[in-house]
Amino acid sequence: MNQMTNPTAENQPPMLRAQDLTHRVRLETDTLTILQGVNLEINRGESVAIVGRSGSGKTTLLGLLAGLDTPTEGSVELDGATISQLGEDERARLRASRVGFVFQSFQLLPALTALENVMLPLELAGFEEPEKRARELLERVGLGERLTHTPRQLSGGEQQRVAIARAFASDPVVLFADEPTGNLDNRTGQAVSDLLMALNREQGTTLVMVTHDEHLAARCSRQFHIEAGQLTEPEALGEPVS
Amino acid sequence: MAAEQKLMSVRRDWRERDVRVVLAALVIAVATVATIALFASQLQRTLVTSASSFLAADRQLEAENGRPIPDTWLQEADARNLETGQMVEFSTMVFGGGGFQLVSVKAVSNEYPLRGEIEVQSGPDSPRELVQTGPKPGEVWINPRLLRLLELEIGDALEVGNRELTVSGLLIREPDGGFRLSALAPRVMMHQSDVESTGVIQEGSRVEYVYLFAGEESSLESYYQWLQPRLEPSHEWEGVRDGETFSRSLERAERFLLLGGSLAVLLAAVAVAVASRQYALSQRDTVALLKTLGLNGAGIGRLYLRRLVLWGITGMVGGLLVAIPLFWLLASMLSDVLERPVDIHLDPAALMPALLTALVSLFAFAYPPIRRLRNVPAMRVLRSQPGESGREAWPDMLVAIVAIFGLVWLYAGELALVLSLLGGLALLLASLALLGWGLVTALRRIRGGGNAWRLALVGLYRHRNASLSQIAVFAMTLMLAATLVLVRTSLLNDWQAQLPEDAPNHFLINIAPDTVDEVAGFWEQQGQPLEELYPMVRGRLTELNGEPVKEAVSKDERIGALNRELNLTWMASLPEDNEIIDGQWFADSVQTGVSVEAELAERLGLKLGDRLTFTIGSEKITEPVTSIRTVQWDSMKPNFYMAFPPGGALEGLPATWITSFYLPPQKKTALNAFSRQFPTVSVLEIDHIIGRIQEIVQQVTRAIEAILALILAAALVVMAAVVSATLRDRQREGALLRTLGGRQTLLVRSTMLEFAVLGGFAGFLGVVAAEAAVYALQFRMFEGSFSWHWQVIVPIPVISAIVLSLFGRWQLRPVLSVSPMLLLRRLE
Ligand SMILES: Nc1ncnc2c1ncn2[C@@H]1O[C@H](COP(=O)(O)OP(=O)(O)O)[C@@H](O)[C@H]1O
Ligand SMILES: [Mg+2]
Repeated sequence: MNQMTNPTAENQPPMLRAQDLTHRVRLETDTLTILQGVNLEINRGESVAIVGRSGSGKTTLLGLLAGLDTPTEGSVELDGATISQLGEDERARLRASRVGFVFQSFQLLPALTALENVMLPLELAGFEEPEKRARELLERVGLGERLTHTPRQLSGGEQQRVAIARAFASDPVVLFADEPTGNLDNRTGQAVSDLLMALNREQGTTLVMVTHDEHLAARCSRQFHIEAGQLTEPEALGEPVS
Repeated sequence: MAAEQKLMSVRRDWRERDVRVVLAALVIAVATVATIALFASQLQRTLVTSASSFLAADRQLEAENGRPIPDTWLQEADARNLETGQMVEFSTMVFGGGGFQLVSVKAVSNEYPLRGEIEVQSGPDSPRELVQTGPKPGEVWINPRLLRLLELEIGDALEVGNRELTVSGLLIREPDGGFRLSALAPRVMMHQSDVESTGVIQEGSRVEYVYLFAGEESSLESYYQWLQPRLEPSHEWEGVRDGETFSRSLERAERFLLLGGSLAVLLAAVAVAVASRQYALSQRDTVALLKTLGLNGAGIGRLYLRRLVLWGITGMVGGLLVAIPLFWLLASMLSDVLERPVDIHLDPAALMPALLTALVSLFAFAYPPIRRLRNVPAMRVLRSQPGESGREAWPDMLVAIVAIFGLVWLYAGELALVLSLLGGLALLLASLALLGWGLVTALRRIRGGGNAWRLALVGLYRHRNASLSQIAVFAMTLMLAATLVLVRTSLLNDWQAQLPEDAPNHFLINIAPDTVDEVAGFWEQQGQPLEELYPMVRGRLTELNGEPVKEAVSKDERIGALNRELNLTWMASLPEDNEIIDGQWFADSVQTGVSVEAELAERLGLKLGDRLTFTIGSEKITEPVTSIRTVQWDSMKPNFYMAFPPGGALEGLPATWITSFYLPPQKKTALNAFSRQFPTVSVLEIDHIIGRIQEIVQQVTRAIEAILALILAAALVVMAAVVSATLRDRQREGALLRTLGGRQTLLVRSTMLEFAVLGGFAGFLGVVAAEAAVYALQFRMFEGSFSWHWQVIVPIPVISAIVLSLFGRWQLRPVLSVSPMLLLRRLE
C-alpha cells in the first residue's frame, strides 16, 4: 500500500487551488450563473466537506475542481497542473492517474460485474495486474464474495462500496465524492461513510466531499458552505472528529 | 379502462426513442415489402405484355392438321369477351420480277396482331415504322431479301398461285416471327381474304391455321378450361410461358423478385424484433410503477396490446405512404425504357404481403416480450430486479420463426426457398454458438490496459451477450443481403453467358450433304465461321416398346413432340452444353442406341433400355434408349430431342444439315450473295428476336438493381436499429470512461475496433451462411451452377467491419462533444 504522508506540506503547492471561479451556462433565453467568484485552497491530505442546499452549485463546483468541465472564468490548479489550461485529453490523463470519484447515484456499468467495474480505471491507467488489485480492493470493502455479481444483483450500499473500491483503485491523490450517502438509508450511509473515511486515511488521499449529511461533514477537517453559487468557510475546525 | 386509455397516446409514445425505432422498423418493413410486391406485379404485367407480343396475342391455338377449327370455338371466345384473330401459314412458290422462289406465306386477318407491332418499311430506303395491322386485301408485304432475290420493286406484282398481288411494303419484323423451323423460306405476308382466290390451299396441302386470343387472364383461363376437352392431339394451345426462348430468363427474374421480397420480410421481422425487445426492456420500470398505482397484469396486457395495434396501424399507413410514391417512381422509370409503355397499375393484392408482414412481425416478434411485461413485479419500483434471463423467450422465438417462415412460404410459394434460407440461418446460428464459445474462452485471458486493442477485446468479452446477439443480427442481415447480391450476380452472369454479344443469330437449314463444305467455306471466308454442323432427319416417334406411343403414354399429357415430326440427328460427341444425366454417351464403335432429351424422357416416362420406334418416311427404325441428356434450349444452337450414334440406322436415310452462326448487322448483305450461291439453303434470321430479348433483360436488370438497392438500404437500417439498441448503455459507458480518465482518442479507437471485430465476424459468418443458402437456392430455383464467390467472401466482412466501426464512432458522438460533467448530469 502506498502510505503517503505529506510532512513538507508547507513547501509544496496546495493540492487544489481555485481562483475566482465563475461558471455560467447559457440557457435558451438568458444565461444562468451557477458559481460566482469562488476561491478555495485545499492542502494535501486534508479532508474537506462542501455543504449547501440542493441546487446551490455543489456538484458544479466539484466537477470544475475535478476537471470534468472548464470554468467560464477563473482557474483551477490540481496537484500543480493548471487544469483550466489543459486540453481534454491531458485532463483525461490527469484524471486517470490522480483523481478518483464517488457519485451519489453510484454510476456503475450495469453490464459489468463488480470486479470488472473496479478494473475499469486500472485498465485505463495501464496497471500491470488490474484483476489482482481489484480483488484486493473489493475484499477490503467487504465484497470479496460478490466479485462476479452485476450491479443489479447488489443492494444500494453494496453498489456504493463497489464504487468506493473503484475510486481508490488507481491510487488517486485526490478523491471527489458527490453526496456519497445521498441515496442510502442512515445505517447503510453510516457504514459507507465509515469505509470512505477509513480508506481515505489509509491511502493518505486528499478528500473533497459534497454532502447534505451534517454528521459526515463534521468528520472532515474543514467545511465550506455554498449558497447560491457563493462559497464561505464559516469556521476552521481543528482536528477532525473520528 | 379509462385510465388505460389515457395512458395511451401516440404523441407520448413518439417521444420515446425505442418506440420511434419500432415504428421506423415497421414503416420500412411495410414500405420495402409493398414496393417490391407492387413492382413485381408491375414487372410481371410488363413482361407478359412484352412477351405476349411474341405471340402477337396472349394465347395462340395452332391447328397442325391442316383444317380450320370449328366456328363454335371462336364464337365461344367472343362470348367470353376475348379478342380473336386468325392467320394461315403455308409454303408455296411465288413468281415475280426475275423468277420463282419458294416462300413461306402468312395470311392474316384484320385483327392481327392482337399484341405487339409489325415493323415495316415502305421502300428499301424509307424509315422503319411500327404498325398494328397487316397488309390490306390485294397487297403483300415481303421480306427485303425476297425483294432482292426476285429483283422486285415496291409496287410490282407478285404472283401467289392464281392471284396477282401488289408488293406494297417490306416486312422487317413480325411480332410473332418466332423461332420456328417451319418459317424457313423468305416471308410473304398477305391478307387472309385473298387466300382462297390464290387456289394454293388444296385438300391435303401442308397448312397451319393459327388462332389468336387476347383478353383478361381469367377469361383466357376459363376459355381454356372450356376448350381443353375439345382439343385434338394436333391442336396446340400456346401461352407466353410455354418454352419460348426467353421465358426462362423471365421466370428467373420473377423468382429473384420473390426472393428479394422474402428477404425483405425477414429483414423487417428482424428489425421489429430487435426494436420491440429493446422497448419492452425499457418499459419495465414504467410497468412496475403502473402496478404500484393499481393497474393489474391483465390491464397492463390490454394497455400494451392496444398500443401494439396502434403502432401496427401507424406502421402500415406510414409504410404505404412511402411505398406507393416509390413504386410510381420505379414503375415510371421502367416504363420509360420500354418500347411500348405499360400502364402503371397499383395491384391491391400486392399490398397484402406487406400488411401481413407488419402483422406477423408485430404479433410474432414484438408482442411476446411486451406480453411478458405483465409479469414485471411491482417490487421493481423499490429495488431493481434481475433482468430477463432470456431463457423464457425461447419458445416465443420458435413460434415467431415458424410464423415468419410460414409467411415467406405463403409469399414466395417456394418451399425450396424457405428451406434454403432456414438452412443458411441454422448454419449461421450453429457457427455463432461455436464462435461464442471460442470468443469467451479466448477473450477471457485478455486483460485490459491503456491499449485500444486490449480495451476493445475486453469490451467484447464484457459485453459478450450483447455482442453475440448483435453479431447474430448483423450476420443474419448480411446473410440476407449477401444472398441477394450473389443470386443477382449469378443471374446477370447467366444471362450474359446465355446471350453474349456474338450469340448465334442466324440459322442455316436444309443444307444438302454435298454442299456442306462449300457452305462452311463461304462463311469462313466472310470471317463468320459456323457453329457445329448437324445432320437432320425428320421423323415421328410412333412406338414405345412395341406399343403405339399414344397408347403407351398417359392420355392427359399433351405432348407436342408426339404430334409433330421430330428433328433426329446423329453425332459422334456430346455437344458441349449438353449433359448426360443417366446412362452413357455412345462409345466409339457403337452404332446402336438413342440418346433422349431429359424433359421429354421425363414426360414420356422413358427409362434406359426402353425401345423407341421412329417412322421416317416409309422406314421404321427401332433403338433402345442408352442415355438421357439435358439440352440448353436457349443456346441459339441446333438442339435435338433424339440423337443417334454415327454409322447407325439413321445415317443411311436422306438427311440435310443444319447449323447456326453469328452475323453482325453490318455484314447482313452477305446473305444476298449466299442466297444466290446456295438457293436451296434456308436462312432463319433471329437477330431481331435476340435484340428484343437483350432489351428485356436490360430492363429487368435495372429493376433488379433498384430492388437490390432497396433491400440493402433496409439492411442498413436494421443494423442501425441494432446498434442503437445499445446506444444508451454505450453512451453511459463512454461517459463514465471519460470521467475515469479515458482519453477521447482511446475511447474512439477502442470502440471502433470493438465494432470492427464485431462487424468482421458478422460479415464472415453472414457470407458463409449466404453461400450455403445460395448453394441450395442455385440448384432448386435458378438452375445455375455453384462456385465459391471470392468477390464477396473477402469484401463483405471488410465492408461490414468498416461500416460498423463507423456506426460505433457515430454512437460515441454525443459522448465526445460535451464535457464529462454534462454527461454525468444527463445520466442521473
Ligand atoms: N448544464 C446546466 N444547464 C442548466 N442548468 C444547470 C446546468 N448545470 C447546473 N445547472 C443548474 O445550476 C444549479 C446548481 O446545480 P448543481 O451544481 O447540480 O447543484 P447541487 O449539486 O448543489 O444540487 C441548479 O439549479 C442546476 O439546475
Ligand atoms: Mg448535486
